[in-house]
Amino acid sequence: MFTLIKREIQDHLVYFLGAAILSAILITLLVSAMYHTEAGDSPVFIGLSIPVIVVLIIGCTAMGVSQMYTDRSRKISTFLSSLLVTRGRILIARIITGTLAILTVLLPLTITGMVLWRLFAPPIPIYSGLIFDIFVVTFLMGFACYCLGLQTSWTSSRITPTLGGLVLTCILVPLILVKGFGLHIKVILVLFIVASLIRTWQRFKTTAL
Amino acid sequence: MQFRIDNASDRPVYQQIIGQIKRDIALGRLIKDEKLPTVRQLARQLAINPNTIAKAYRQLEQEGIIVTKPGAGAFVADLDSSLSRAVRKKLLSEELERIAVEAYHMQIDKETLSGWFNNAIEKFNLSTKKGQTNG
Amino acid sequence: MDDSVIKVENLVKYFDGRCVLDGINLNVPRGCIYGLLGRNGSGKTTTVRILLGLDSPTRGQTFLLDTKSTNLSAKVHGRIGYTAEGHNLIQNYKVSRLIKLCKDLSLQWNDEFFSHLIETFRLPADRRVRELSIGMRAQLNLSLAMAIDPELLILDDPTLGLDTVARRQFLELAIELIQQQGKTILFCSHILSDVERIADRIGILAAGKLVVDCPLEELKKRVKKLRVIFPESAPANLYLTEIINQQIQGREMVITVANWNQQKQTVLETFKPSSCTEIPMSLEDIFIECTKPNPVPDTDG
Repeated sequence: MFTLIKREIQDHLVYFLGAAILSAILITLLVSAMYHTEAGDSPVFIGLSIPVIVVLIIGCTAMGVSQMYTDRSRKISTFLSSLLVTRGRILIARIITGTLAILTVLLPLTITGMVLWRLFAPPIPIYSGLIFDIFVVTFLMGFACYCLGLQTSWTSSRITPTLGGLVLTCILVPLILVKGFGLHIKVILVLFIVASLIRTWQRFKTTAL
Repeated sequence: MQFRIDNASDRPVYQQIIGQIKRDIALGRLIKDEKLPTVRQLARQLAINPNTIAKAYRQLEQEGIIVTKPGAGAFVADLDSSLSRAVRKKLLSEELERIAVEAYHMQIDKETLSGWFNNAIEKFNLSTKKGQTNG
Repeated sequence: MDDSVIKVENLVKYFDGRCVLDGINLNVPRGCIYGLLGRNGSGKTTTVRILLGLDSPTRGQTFLLDTKSTNLSAKVHGRIGYTAEGHNLIQNYKVSRLIKLCKDLSLQWNDEFFSHLIETFRLPADRRVRELSIGMRAQLNLSLAMAIDPELLILDDPTLGLDTVARRQFLELAIELIQQQGKTILFCSHILSDVERIADRIGILAAGKLVVDCPLEELKKRVKKLRVIFPESAPANLYLTEIINQQIQGREMVITVANWNQQKQTVLETFKPSSCTEIPMSLEDIFIECTKPNPVPDTDG
């Protein structure tokens, strides 16, 4: 399993680098924003986060698409099947790699956020779990788009899943603004992810390689 | 020992090997008690499935042409042994009948055929009487 | 007890409504070297892919090492060495990376043997797979398949693209493997002379069916081509079964029959032919006869 994950990471190194760079940029922005604005500037944060989320979404979908597309075009699973693996293990390794890539962006950002929160505790009392909630919902959103990328690009062309990801964003972002980072969003996203993964699993296991 | 496998032949490979060993013995290239290459050696040399070679050796042993001694290998048998004579008679008679049939179809008369047959006998230096060998 | 390493039961496969395999039954016992022959597009590769779980059957089932092909575990994969048709491997990887991947994903790896092969074939470690010629890719593919000391070796057109010397090296390699006893090999090939050298059993795929499946040495005995001349015009129907090919021209009939025996000889003699000669057939001749597309009697004039 470890070998498979290592192989996936090596093949998609560019995404991990991109994730690290994005993370670094966002941390820098966040830190500078914290130092140069006043506590009451929450609209600025929201304004900043929308393009960030769009970039994140596109990146996640692209990663999913890229993993499946390169497999299909270079016949990687076809070759791997002749070795000490099963199709299930290949897919699990793939999903783990995708998850790691998403976490590479979000974890450093979340940790920075929590640290800054400690330092710059604003006068407005907001419940302390907010950053954690933001992290979870953003992760689920990114992961949902990633799963969409995986699912649709296993059998179809590249364009459809990317558009699908954008459509999903357009639906989800206003939903979050309206409903906040509450339980409803999490449940919807988890259900979507589970359905998507089950479908991908079925397709991956039965397609001719 | 040099062998050639003819892929355009209608005879199976193991029969070709049998045929060539018999020919070599008849021509004096292989003499009595001479050690034949092992199945493994021959398989490697000719790039042929060892089972095919084993089958050829088994049949040669059945016909009394070679003798296998466990642990030592396969050796050319003593061709004067009477045990194999009955087998040899049967095989040779079958071959002779086959030639006669072919000659009939090709409309070759008895005298011509006899002449060609004598040429073949000359070529392989067959002895005139049992017990005497020349060549 | 049943010691079949490969089992194919009533395998049927349709591609876009076209029937490629029409009820194939096959049993390869342990230690057998099986040569699967057939023209291009006859379904050899399809059969192999279904055996390995890369594709699924339309009907019927296949088994490898007593495991259903649709359910092969990683361990079973690890006991099988496979070279796919075309020797594609993973094109953009470096040879060294590919070797490491195969090594890490194997049950057992015979490093000594593998290094010996790499040296014999002179394969460069730092070039990318796509930069190698097809001959070198074939050699790499074979080396990777053999390095895991597999119980079962499945080779799909292994000598495609190999030059004469390399083909000979492959044959010698195969012989080495066979000498090790207990190894089973299934290989598809177009080069009949190679097949004749190393196969124990032969199967010929034609028109979606396995028209021949018997030990190699018996094949030439069982398939007979006869030129029969009749005193008057040749009869249209000889009431013989398993006729592979039949051509009639006036009084002469050339007929190819499978599983020739005394019974069929007797049946033929009831028609009182004036002569009957056997036309000798090499493996290539037999193959061509068995794979002709129109096995129905062909009357002329």
